[in-house]
Amino acid sequence: MGDRPSDAYDRRIDRRELIRTWGPAALAGVAVTALGAGLHDRPGRHRPPSLDTVPTPKDWRLADDGHGRLAEWGGAGSVANLRRALAAMGGMAAFVRPGETVAIKPNCAWDRTPEQAANTDPELVAELVRQAREAGASSVVVVDNSCHDPDRAFERSGIGPAARAAGATIAHQHSVRTVTLDLGGTALGRWEVLEPIASADRLINVPIVKHHSLARATLGMKNWIGAVEGPRSSLHQRLPQVCAELAAAFKPTLTVVDATRVLTAGGPTGGSLDLVRPVDRIAVSTDPVAAEVWGAELLDLGPRELPQIAIAERLGLGTADWKAVSVPA
Amino acid sequence: MMSLAPRWRHLRIVVQTVFLLAFVAAMWALGSTFVTGRLASGLVALDPLTAVTTAVADSTVPAWAWLGLAVLILTALLGRVFCGWVCPLGSLQQLVSWIAGPQRRKRPKLNRYRRWFALKYLVLVVGLVVAAFGLNLLGWIDPIPLLHRGVAMGVRPLWHGGQMTAGWVSFALVAAILLLSAWMPRFFCRAVCPLGAMLGVVARVAPVRIRRSGTDCTGCTLCLMACQGADEPLGDHRVSECHVCLNCLDVCKEQGLRYGVDSGPDVLSTPALDLGRRRVLVAATAAVVVAPIVRVAGGGGPARAHDAIRPPGALDEDAFLARCVTCGACSASCPTGVIGSDLGTTGIAGLFTPVLDMRRGWCEPSCIRCGEVCPTRAIEVLTPESKQAIGGPAEVRIGTAFVDRGRCLPWAMERPCIVCEEMCPTSPKAIWLEPVEITRRDGQRIVLQRPMVEPELCTGCGLCENRCPVGEQAAIRVSSVGETRDPRNRMLQSRTDA
Repeated sequence: MGDRPSDAYDRRIDRRELIRTWGPAALAGVAVTALGAGLHDRPGRHRPPSLDTVPTPKDWRLADDGHGRLAEWGGAGSVANLRRALAAMGGMAAFVRPGETVAIKPNCAWDRTPEQAANTDPELVAELVRQAREAGASSVVVVDNSCHDPDRAFERSGIGPAARAAGATIAHQHSVRTVTLDLGGTALGRWEVLEPIASADRLINVPIVKHHSLARATLGMKNWIGAVEGPRSSLHQRLPQVCAELAAAFKPTLTVVDATRVLTAGGPTGGSLDLVRPVDRIAVSTDPVAAEVWGAELLDLGPRELPQIAIAERLGLGTADWKAVSVPA
Repeated sequence: MMSLAPRWRHLRIVVQTVFLLAFVAAMWALGSTFVTGRLASGLVALDPLTAVTTAVADSTVPAWAWLGLAVLILTALLGRVFCGWVCPLGSLQQLVSWIAGPQRRKRPKLNRYRRWFALKYLVLVVGLVVAAFGLNLLGWIDPIPLLHRGVAMGVRPLWHGGQMTAGWVSFALVAAILLLSAWMPRFFCRAVCPLGAMLGVVARVAPVRIRRSGTDCTGCTLCLMACQGADEPLGDHRVSECHVCLNCLDVCKEQGLRYGVDSGPDVLSTPALDLGRRRVLVAATAAVVVAPIVRVAGGGGPARAHDAIRPPGALDEDAFLARCVTCGACSASCPTGVIGSDLGTTGIAGLFTPVLDMRRGWCEPSCIRCGEVCPTRAIEVLTPESKQAIGGPAEVRIGTAFVDRGRCLPWAMERPCIVCEEMCPTSPKAIWLEPVEITRRDGQRIVLQRPMVEPELCTGCGLCENRCPVGEQAAIRVSSVGETRDPRNRMLQSRTDA
């Protein structure tokens, strides 16, 4: 600049001043352009993420368990019945390895006491927790998506206190997050699944045998509705298909059918003790279809009266002939 | 430099913080089963005005009125310590004006007494006269219920989840009061608060009060700048306005002010309440004219909407409105979030009162928490058995479910669905299924189960409405008819002959 006089109308600037004055503007321009390029509205921008990016559920069955088995016992109270039947299946150690995480899915849907037989027997759940812990499980979680207020359902059913005392944690739709899984099938597809179920190494389904007005009986297959969160009421328009597809999506390590008390009518909520029949039987099975038929028979229902059984057999989930896979206890 | 020596101010801030924390803890305790309902809503019971309005409106002295009486006796001895040391709405206002800064807060002119501060006495007069007509409307601006409601309805959903019906209105009232306190310290306490007005009247007899010995004062106005209540510690001290914050004692460099009983020369005179007999008469007359009109033309009572469903145990509508101070404790205690704040469906008299919105929650069968926490017993404490309908009709019903056959899937859309029946928690189920064989549009013969309601068994719990898969407006909805609290709101004759 040296030899030229400064002139307000013919001002020259050096490189440094140019950068100082125009640099920020240029940077802002680049930033705005980049933002615009990155965020501009284009077709498909707000389409939900594609289905094939969503994982499918695990298969919780033991790989070496080629064919299903079922053991039952009765007349000794729920805890002793379970011990005897489970022992016939090889004991909990055959299903839970040390260090594995275990999720137990009882039916804990209702603001009901154990005597009303709307929820799984709390002592049975607690014994399963103890057995899983003795087998070396690193953690045991008892989980359900209750239909009533979950805090109240877990307390009044007795499942919450009993399971906590046995060393499990409690999880329900208000206390844990969900993960999106592709449950497949023609009636299910994408659903939110309670995280402790989705992430568990081993999964034990513990339904109670109950009457249901649409499905005739609510057992292990329908129990999986308590594993998902979302517009669950919409599932009832194709209920047999939904039940079978849920059973195909959630393949548990074990199904433990609680027939300590059976709700013979007014299900799945029950209420009056007149509707409850003491049966005092437990079945432990690695074949969910056989377990389903075993439970249905206690409500005087044959496999043909439950359309979900035929669908589940077609899907290759097990056999309706539970006596064929029965092992002596 | 500010002195670090312990001062009145420090003690007061500690006490205020304790009560603010107690308020926050109560918001948690209301929804918890570990704290008794009475304790959880204890702060509302501590407010003597809720006891007085309930006593006037419902001609009954609440069992917990001794708590409020204790506050009144304390006020008669020590002045408005409740306002300066306890009231969480007062503490929050003080906090806001502290954040707004000393330039604003400490202007002498801003903290002079103004004649329109007497408005609060007229608010109290109007509220009490209206209460005599059975309308407990003071709860709208009684500070404890007001803050309680604003947090329960407006803020609590932030962590409890869900949408609270009309909760924003209650929150907006609190927000407006706090914003106004940024303009003028404790604007609401000085000019509007009916509880402050009542305590102010009582405080006039308090033997323990601010006193000045006279000789030491240099007229520096430091006390005036620090004054919360605009009660003029420098001149004619208005004990009725003084919140006993004791800032004036702390700032007085000459130590000419003290808080205590009469002992020697005291130059502070106590002027009369700035409230002419005429103004009281006009306010009372206006209330006498307006209250009956609100009752007959306010849109409540028998004209209330079918979907104005009250919590289980709510008294009949007249007694309920006479007792409910709209504190929102029931709403904050509800595990399913079904209890919202009314805006219009129960009329002016029912503004902010609790109504149930079954799309947001349902009435849990064995839960009686709303009655347990209700500080005025507008909602009675029930037994869990009384509202469950196990083995027969329930003793307490809040309404009746009606199937909308034009929206119901099996009734109108040829599709199976039994969700309402499945969810129905009564035993036998109030919702039953009628099997019907129909010919579908495509010619196929199918059997459908169509839901029907047996009204005697229905408790109106609303779980059916909550879970109905038909979005927005459910295909089965609870209406208040059949509620046991009001024998006039019925539809059925007894089936059995006497």
